[in-house]
Amino acid sequence: MSNKASRHLARRVCVLGATMFLACVAFAEPLAFITNQGSHDVSVIDLSTDRVVATVPVGRSPAGVAVSSSQGRVYVTNPDSKTISVIDMRTRQVVDTLNAGDGPLGIAASDDGLRVYVSDWYRNRVLVYDTRTRHPLMTIAVGKAPAGLAVHDSGELVFVAERDDDSIAVVEVITQRVIARAKVGTHPFALTFDAARQRLYVLNVQSDDVTVLDVRDVFRGRINVIATVPVGKAPYGAALADAGRLLYVTNQHDGTVSVIDAQQLAVVRTLKGFGYPEGVAARGDRVYVVNWMDDNVSVLEASTGALIRTIATGQNSRGFGAFIGEALPP
Amino acid sequence: MFHRLLQPWRLMALAAICALVAPAHAHGPTRQKVAEKITIDAPAETVWAKIKDFSALKDWHPVVAESPASAGNSEGSVRLLKLKGGGELEETLESYDAAKMKYAYRAKDGGALPVTNYSSTIFVTASGAGQSVVEWRGAFYRAYPNNNPPPDQNDEAAVKAVTGVYQSGLQNLKKIVEGK
Repeated sequence: MSNKASRHLARRVCVLGATMFLACVAFAEPLAFITNQGSHDVSVIDLSTDRVVATVPVGRSPAGVAVSSSQGRVYVTNPDSKTISVIDMRTRQVVDTLNAGDGPLGIAASDDGLRVYVSDWYRNRVLVYDTRTRHPLMTIAVGKAPAGLAVHDSGELVFVAERDDDSIAVVEVITQRVIARAKVGTHPFALTFDAARQRLYVLNVQSDDVTVLDVRDVFRGRINVIATVPVGKAPYGAALADAGRLLYVTNQHDGTVSVIDAQQLAVVRTLKGFGYPEGVAARGDRVYVVNWMDDNVSVLEASTGALIRTIATGQNSRGFGAFIGEALPP
Repeated sequence: MFHRLLQPWRLMALAAICALVAPAHAHGPTRQKVAEKITIDAPAETVWAKIKDFSALKDWHPVVAESPASAGNSEGSVRLLKLKGGGELEETLESYDAAKMKYAYRAKDGGALPVTNYSSTIFVTASGAGQSVVEWRGAFYRAYPNNNPPPDQNDEAAVKAVTGVYQSGLQNLKKIVEGK
């Protein structure tokens, strides 16, 4: 081949490569990873088609889940085998298993995906992982029965629901200290952070309400309760939807979903017909509700709450955490 | 010294000892569920009439001797079950929907059952051709709250006990309603 021809070919290959790369970027798949506590696996749902595209066996009784799109990894807590399964988003296979205290439950990842935080239910502490070294960097003592976690948008703070103390703690990661604490309702379990409004929503399973905390002054150790919104029985999960206008809250014992206007902090509608709904997450104009009793996911239209379809999952599905992410091309 | 410890057979023996002393199972509490259903050869209204009263459990469940409810079918009504084989269970009505032929109740303490935080729903649906389906669903945790439960308080014991209660109840209900 002549020099000119080979240069031409090289250019064409480059163009082809770039085109393929762009095509892949354009088709980055939105995926949901649903933990199934009864079948000990994770259902992977392609949200562009609403179909289960893989079922990934993990440890015993997977509950918590955190998706890190930036690292292409999904972290799942297995309370009954005391481990974390690390799933590669593209290959949909477990690539690592990490030891995680005595009762790993809640899990959250930093935005860059380099830190993963895990609540250790039995040992009253939060484990902090560096995802590059696999081992806990540190353990931070918190209150009784730590459950849900949420990472502040600064990346420097982690909110922890202390279920049996009826409080939430604010952990400053770099100093490994609790810098603030607030009393909330009874048995707080799940937490949702609202970066735009600098608020934390706390779901109180036993008092059947949502405590709304203003965290604008959290670095000075101040957090204030600005509202307590009554919802249905046993609220278990919450997600901001419809561009942050609405907060969807699952009520496990009622089999309902409360839709709260996040500005007014009032319930605008209550949706019926769910089977012990637990995890909830939103993407674009859709909301996904995980039904533990029915072993499926309800797909809702975010603005109206209308049911679009249901997707069958594994058994006793939970999806406790931020279970949606985008699988980027290699 | 070390090279002798590292001999293959010693390592194998060490590994075997480690395997023996490590706990075989280490469970954290995980919510369990049981869902049992039965098809009955009778219209849904007929079946519902038999079970619709929260206090009527004694009339159709073979192991329940007494089941008085404090406030009938209104939300918050508490029924105290006395079992024929001994043992009690206190349950509170959480929701009642006559139109949907459905109610739900819960028990914080499992009483005679090896469970905690027990909640349950029972409902009847029409199933065409004069038949109906009764479904009974329960969600609960095992009795033992910590890691490493004894066998009579583990997840399997809890599921087995609740499954037994539902199956025997539904089978007896079918027998009574069908008059066989």
